[in-house]
Amino acid sequence: MANNAAGSDDLFQRKATGLLRGWSVWDGFIYAAFSINLITLGLLAFSYAPFIPDGSLVLAIILAGLYLVFQTVTYASLIAVMPRAGGDYVWTSRVLGGGGGFVLAVTGWWFILWHWVPIYADLLNKEVFVPLGALLGLDGAVTFFSGASGLFTASMIVAVLASLYVSLGMRAYARIQKFCFYGGLVGLAVMIVILLVSSRSDFVTAYNAGAQDLFGAGGNAYQETIRAGEEAGGTPTGSALYPTMLLIPFLAFFNLYSNWGATLYGEVRGASDFRKNIYAMAGALIFTSVFAVILLLLFAKTFGWDFYYAANSAFWAGSGPISAWPYPGLLTAMLLGNPVLQVILVAVLSLWFFGWTGSVFLSSTRVVFATAFDRVLPEWVSRTTSNGVPYAALLLMLIPSIPVSYMYAFGENFATYVLDAVLVIAITFLGSTVSAALMPWLKPDIYNASPIARYRVLGIPLITVVAAAFGGFLVFCIYQWFFNDLYGVNNGQSLIYMLILYAVALGIYVGFRLLRRAQGIDLNRVYDEIPED
Amino acid sequence: MEKISSLFSRGSETRLYFATDIHGSETCWRKFLNSGKHYEADVMVLGGDMTGKALIPIVQQGSGRWQATLQENRREFETEEEVKEFEDAVRRRGYYPFRTDPDEMADLEKDEKLRDKLFHTEMLGTVERWMRMADEKLEGTGIQCFVSPGNDDQFEVDEIISGAKLVKLAEGEVVEFGDFQMVSTGWANRTPWDTYREEDEDALGERLKKMTDQVTAPPEKTIYNFHCPPYGTGLDDAPELTEDLRPKHGGRSTVPVGSKAVRDAIKAGQPALALHGHIHEARGNARIGKTLCINPGSSYEQGQLLGAVVNLDGKSKVKRFVLTSG
Repeated sequence: MANNAAGSDDLFQRKATGLLRGWSVWDGFIYAAFSINLITLGLLAFSYAPFIPDGSLVLAIILAGLYLVFQTVTYASLIAVMPRAGGDYVWTSRVLGGGGGFVLAVTGWWFILWHWVPIYADLLNKEVFVPLGALLGLDGAVTFFSGASGLFTASMIVAVLASLYVSLGMRAYARIQKFCFYGGLVGLAVMIVILLVSSRSDFVTAYNAGAQDLFGAGGNAYQETIRAGEEAGGTPTGSALYPTMLLIPFLAFFNLYSNWGATLYGEVRGASDFRKNIYAMAGALIFTSVFAVILLLLFAKTFGWDFYYAANSAFWAGSGPISAWPYPGLLTAMLLGNPVLQVILVAVLSLWFFGWTGSVFLSSTRVVFATAFDRVLPEWVSRTTSNGVPYAALLLMLIPSIPVSYMYAFGENFATYVLDAVLVIAITFLGSTVSAALMPWLKPDIYNASPIARYRVLGIPLITVVAAAFGGFLVFCIYQWFFNDLYGVNNGQSLIYMLILYAVALGIYVGFRLLRRAQGIDLNRVYDEIPED
Repeated sequence: MEKISSLFSRGSETRLYFATDIHGSETCWRKFLNSGKHYEADVMVLGGDMTGKALIPIVQQGSGRWQATLQENRREFETEEEVKEFEDAVRRRGYYPFRTDPDEMADLEKDEKLRDKLFHTEMLGTVERWMRMADEKLEGTGIQCFVSPGNDDQFEVDEIISGAKLVKLAEGEVVEFGDFQMVSTGWANRTPWDTYREEDEDALGERLKKMTDQVTAPPEKTIYNFHCPPYGTGLDDAPELTEDLRPKHGGRSTVPVGSKAVRDAIKAGQPALALHGHIHEARGNARIGKTLCINPGSSYEQGQLLGAVVNLDGKSKVKRFVLTSG
């Protein structure tokens, strides 16, 4: 019998389809923690710190981590007001208009993620193939995966793996991700313990031996690395506030995506779901930031801070006794001495990569779907196989990623265009942030019906306050990327390339809008609210 | 050339607007009644699950003060105006407000039958009021309006809809508009909630067959309005649940929960259009053979009426449609 009601202090519910108990914050946390992946994105982002040697990397991580809590509250608010509505595309298109929403979402969630495939591949090479090749004595593999062909090959592996995850479906991917998270945590814990119990002199000995055995670098590789790093200008010199702040746009490469899985399924029933989303996203952000600081302090203790900076500086300058990227996982593994244990540690740490790979296509296919449902893209885009595989949307991710990866690996200047990868995503987030800030005024009915409508700060809606604060962060980063040479994003070719991406998105929108109008379908109707009275 | 010109010409089309799963939301019902005019539709169809899922008590505290909780936000009221405003907010969201006192609250918490009775009264009372509203709003518009209850709607709802002048009950019937025929049902395959209109796949298959056998229009002029979506089309992807009905993996893990009987019926009948609901999260469209299947999803709690506008031209494949959020 359906009317088997349940009582509580607040309401009586009857048995009806979709009435669920609360979802687990821990599960949301895992997805968010993978999105701001400390071992992959984090360690690579930290390696750029020597470009601003007078800033404090640790302080920058703490400041950015704390400040980005505003991002988590902004996105939790958007979810509370328009849950399961398709993410940035739907929020922006419903609040600011269809054209703007489409252009921002398509560039930030579709086009630019083709360019993330070679970035993922670069990390696969740096953290998995090259270290494992070196540990297993496969010199040919080390050389291959350090070169252009190896990068292209790794890109194809990433593209195929991500496609496989999407094809397996969310159910299987969620399981794989959970396994990788727990496995990766074990690897991280082991890494921390090794760093904690090892002394500087242990590391110097291990590094010199490892450099010789794995990469054929003779002599005192430790001292050679420091010298090469100093020559490249990568010696840490201080912790002034402004240079520290200038490190934050580098860190955005790592910590800007706690909202990646923002649109969770299930009925959002009240303030507790709003809080849960904050706990999941902000929890992951703080957890990751705390572990980042712990790792860096341990690097300082065991590797030596000067060495850590010098190794990265020398790598980016193309100097130093070892040509491979100084992956801290491998540096830690060197302390183990035993080759089998070294391989196991690097392999277990690689779970952080393999649990994360699906994210390069997964969210994008959903955005592509959402635009097709709005008929801005054609119907075939949303087709699935009988097993539910979104093959058309997947192909729209996979196929363009192949030439993009090829150009990234073999093209002369193309790799610099890919530097826009974070910038374009940040601009998309800025669109959602502006939508969030203005929502109480532009969509008052929807906003006032939400569980967060009563939250105010000095009389101003909380969503507006947090969105303005997060918007300030994004504007600061975007300004620096555009106008500061440090980040390598503001070259003319890169900007033109980025503008082309936006122009293509705009062209698609205008083209389909005209086509739909000719077919008697006014796309304005997609976004129009029906009057209530 | 003929093909191109036909693509850009509307010709003599019937425009249908479809929404579903409004679950007691006053805002969504009001928007639905205005949707015909708004989208210039000839026909409006409301899929199942009209009735709400929760009662919200507004408890008298003495001295003219009242207290209630909505979306976990506790509120206190001192004037009749404030209480009425709150009641409207509750109705807009799809819940049923009712005034009570601490003694009655205690009784309701203890007595399941008393709660059932209250639910029935509120749900049926609301549907009755909605039908009166529909008769007023639709008068003189010339727009045809069909409503079919869903698996969450108790059977008494059908009788109330039948009593309306300008809303036609579509459940189990072959209804006609223009040259088109539409067959509807709110019955679904089994759910974990043991709802009013659910049954095993075999029984559902038989039910659907009996209904579709009554259709005399050709497939290109036939519409199936089956509340439950076809299995494995993406229109039926729902959160995977634990045994105690918690979403697994933070709700990100989804599984198909639609009906295989519905899928088989569509495969066999190949209607031009199949309209579905039931799974609120699974907004989208899919094709089974030539049939365009649509689940517009539902966002009733947010007061957004998710829907679909479909231009029916009587050809074998429906090509002109758009999902809306009004």
